[in-house]
Amino acid sequence: MLKALAYIFGFLLLGELITYFFEIPIAGNILGMFLIFIALRLKIIKLQDVKPASDKLIKYLVLFFIPYGVGLMVYFEIVADYWMPISIAVIASTVITLYISAIIIEKLER
Amino acid sequence: MQEFFQLPVFGVFISIIAFAGGRQIRQKFDYVLLNPVLLAILFIISFLLIFNIDFEDYNRGGKFISFFLGPSVVALGVFFYEKYEEVKQNLKVFLLSVAVGGISGIVTVIIFLMLLKVPGFIIESLAAKSVTTPIAIEITKLAGGIPEITAGIVIAVGIFGNAFGPFILKKLGVKSKIAIGTALGTAAHGIGTARAFEESKLAGVYSGLAMCVNGIITALLTPYLLALFLGNFT
Repeated sequence: MLKALAYIFGFLLLGELITYFFEIPIAGNILGMFLIFIALRLKIIKLQDVKPASDKLIKYLVLFFIPYGVGLMVYFEIVADYWMPISIAVIASTVITLYISAIIIEKLER
Repeated sequence: MQEFFQLPVFGVFISIIAFAGGRQIRQKFDYVLLNPVLLAILFIISFLLIFNIDFEDYNRGGKFISFFLGPSVVALGVFFYEKYEEVKQNLKVFLLSVAVGGISGIVTVIIFLMLLKVPGFIIESLAAKSVTTPIAIEITKLAGGIPEITAGIVIAVGIFGNAFGPFILKKLGVKSKIAIGTALGTAAHGIGTARAFEESKLAGVYSGLAMCVNGIITALLTPYLLALFLGNFT
């Protein structure tokens, strides 16, 4: 578990380090996700060395974003002023996204 | 008493308890709007309002919880590697479908919000509405939007996809479980993926992978798409 955590935080740090030095417009954690995938593919690290920590983190992923959800209370009035256009735009866009991705794979899958 | 609530342990404790409570309620009553995260957020907000506690005070502890979003995103890379084999035979079509679906999601929400004359900072906060919350939050921070607005709407999008996604897709004539899974992961991230797993195991795997892939695509493209439409990206 300790080794797995060290790998996860190591790749996070590596991602942050790269964004810090190269000032690219992508978050360090997303870069870390990409890098750990590449490292696993190239067999630089082994799955069983990171799996204990990654499984636990994914299991509780939804818990971790609760504080941001609670933060919505601070902006409640701003969002409430625009609730109608926001709802229309977000729902319409979500339905379009659902349909486009579903129809492409349904027509072309083997 | 206010000083007591400023202790970080208060924010940590209430977050964990509210989430555990939300899960218990969901287990007892299997109804989609009783999403554990939604219940936890509503409970905490009510508690803070009733006892007149500032969000900033709650967040002294909340920060310790949300800190783990960073390593969780890295963990998604491990998940992706593990499940990658299962989509191999459809890989190109899968990637095409997630990319086109994901990009149309960003573009349409930006255009619709612009047409409805919603202020720029809200558009910046909502461009990444379809991707998993931790990634969406990072995209919003880079774009100059407000991460808390992002989190709220992203969770709402997930619940919408979870509750209505398969129904809408079936009405529109989509039959393949793989297609339903891919669409749910692309449009409604982890909360949609939970529903995809209820459709079938394979749908769930495709959904989880679609969530990861769309997270990367959206993270890479959103800054440029926002600049293209809003023209104020620096």
